[in-house]
Amino acid sequence: MQSLNLRLTLAASLVLAIFLGLAGWALDRAFKDSAETAVREHLQAAIYGLMAAADMNRQGNLSLPEGLPEERFQRPGSGLYASVIGADGVSVWQSPSQLGQQLPTAPHLPPGEWSFIRLPSESAGDLFVLSFGSAWELDKQNLQFTFSVSEDPAAYAAQVSRFRRGLWGWFAALAVGLLVAQGLVLRWGLSPLRRVERDLAAVESGNQEALTGTYPRELRGLTDNLNALVKTERARLIRYRDALADLAHSLKTPLAVLRGAGRHDGTGQPLEQLVKEQTERMGQIVDYQLQRAATSGRTTLMAPVAIAPLLQRILNSLEKVYAERQLKLSLDVDSDVQFRADEADLMELSGNLLDNACKWAKQQVKASAHITMVGADQTLVLSIEDDGPGIAPDQRVAVLARGVRIDSSVPGQGIGLAVARDITAAYGGKIDIGSSPTLGGAQFQASLCSV
Amino acid sequence: MRVLLIEDEDNLRTQLRDRLKVEGHVVDTAADGEEGLYAGTEYPIDIAVIDLGLPKLSGIEVIRRLRAAEKRFPILILTARGRWQDKVEGLEAGADDYLVKPFEVEELLARLRALLRRAAGWTQATLQCGPILLDTSAQTLQVDGQVVDLTSYEYRVLEYLILHSGEVVSKTDLTEHLYEQDYDRDSNVIEVFIGRLRRKLDPDNTLNPIETVRGRGYRFALERGS
Repeated sequence: MQSLNLRLTLAASLVLAIFLGLAGWALDRAFKDSAETAVREHLQAAIYGLMAAADMNRQGNLSLPEGLPEERFQRPGSGLYASVIGADGVSVWQSPSQLGQQLPTAPHLPPGEWSFIRLPSESAGDLFVLSFGSAWELDKQNLQFTFSVSEDPAAYAAQVSRFRRGLWGWFAALAVGLLVAQGLVLRWGLSPLRRVERDLAAVESGNQEALTGTYPRELRGLTDNLNALVKTERARLIRYRDALADLAHSLKTPLAVLRGAGRHDGTGQPLEQLVKEQTERMGQIVDYQLQRAATSGRTTLMAPVAIAPLLQRILNSLEKVYAERQLKLSLDVDSDVQFRADEADLMELSGNLLDNACKWAKQQVKASAHITMVGADQTLVLSIEDDGPGIAPDQRVAVLARGVRIDSSVPGQGIGLAVARDITAAYGGKIDIGSSPTLGGAQFQASLCSV
Repeated sequence: MRVLLIEDEDNLRTQLRDRLKVEGHVVDTAADGEEGLYAGTEYPIDIAVIDLGLPKLSGIEVIRRLRAAEKRFPILILTARGRWQDKVEGLEAGADDYLVKPFEVEELLARLRALLRRAAGWTQATLQCGPILLDTSAQTLQVDGQVVDLTSYEYRVLEYLILHSGEVVSKTDLTEHLYEQDYDRDSNVIEVFIGRLRRKLDPDNTLNPIETVRGRGYRFALERGS
């Protein structure tokens, strides 16, 4: 059941079959009922005719005239037969049409009662038999006769089968018509999906930048998300490529230094220290570029991350790591602050900023965060303060590039702040460095924008 | 000190093991998580160094199970990826500190010293008990302000006794927790060392810093602080 077309066609055909079947059955029943009623009414009229024509003599014998109103009673084998039986069950009269035929006899009925039954006969199939019990008064004497009229079912059966042929013929035509119509509706209804498929193939093969067509409202969520995904993937690809290029370039300098050291001429640094310095630097470069490539950056498909618990987890961890220094780490974030971003990115950003603050703090570090809205765009402002020595204004730009600038090789300095800066940039934001109004040390304020 | 080292990379494990032995530690090594968990639960470990990316059982899981088994010794994690998510997860599982690879062995040793001190309730790098001042980062001893020379093994024994001050430390404890290169592990040797230490710490026989608890072992008896 991998095909939507197949699913819909099968389901619709099943519904169609059930519906037409039930409708046909009901119509068939209704038609047969009404045809039978017609037969009964017709027979009833014949009985009334016979009773009107019947005559009784003084001896109590019932007789019917030669010329009956219904011509078919006269003609032998016409299919319409009549008979009259007395109270003792003995046949009193039979219509001439019954001549030479063995027909079943209907039972005697008490006066005033009707019976409409089907009786099997040897020569003419199942006969419809209508009987009526009548009472005749003669000299205060009550004589009972049962009038029966039978009809051959051939005409009725022919009528029913003609109706059935007509009915099922029309239904078959209707079913074919409906299936064709449904096929066309499906083709038309699903055509936007085929268009998306075609466009997606074009994007895949690089002929198209994104899904640019106009799509029905129901598909727009899907196509918008696909476009966002394509965009994110493309950005990621570019970031990987850049990171790779940067990595290769930035490794060249320490490699050159090391190669130069191979031709040692006795001047300069001792080889051991030089190797140590340069490998440390290379390690930092690798770490930094790896981190950059791993940064997810903002995309549309992010779930909101609760900020307070995330910061709390990092503070708990840092409390453990810096247990010896007994720092006072405080958190000032409303519990409902949420931000759409990659959790790993947020953790990396706040982890690096907080770790840096803990390194420089004398006793106190404070983390706070809030959301500001500019139109529909959210901005997360994350502020980390400490009571350390602070950073001189002319150092503030350089601090963020620490550890990764090609010409900076101060050993022992981490790449944390440079990573934090890059993550912030990936979210279209920046890091401002100032001095903490409450604690007196440095204040790092990272603002991140969501889409 | 008895160090448990769980690291799957052979080179690094051997290198660290050798270095830790040179520093006077008894080292148990394991190359995967299951082996490491066994060693951690069965041996009298003082401190553990656990790599996060281990075969069979992840480092995080090893730490979790060690803590669940009521093992309280400090744990330092090594992580190749310096991601905060890994660090936070490791610390939340019960580790006490982390180190990102590649690292300097000196850095690792300093972290281990600090963790051991912290676990024994000392916050400073120098341990002072009355006139005795042991500097754990420089690994030197001063008595009444005078520098006293100690051999590496004597220093280890003294550090162990001070970190466990007030507790009875048996000879078996000392042989199980301190690696001693040049001598047979013979209890007489330990008596000889304790005798020498007493003379160096207390030449005038007035302090009696190391008490003998008959039949059980030794106890460092001086109060903390100056």
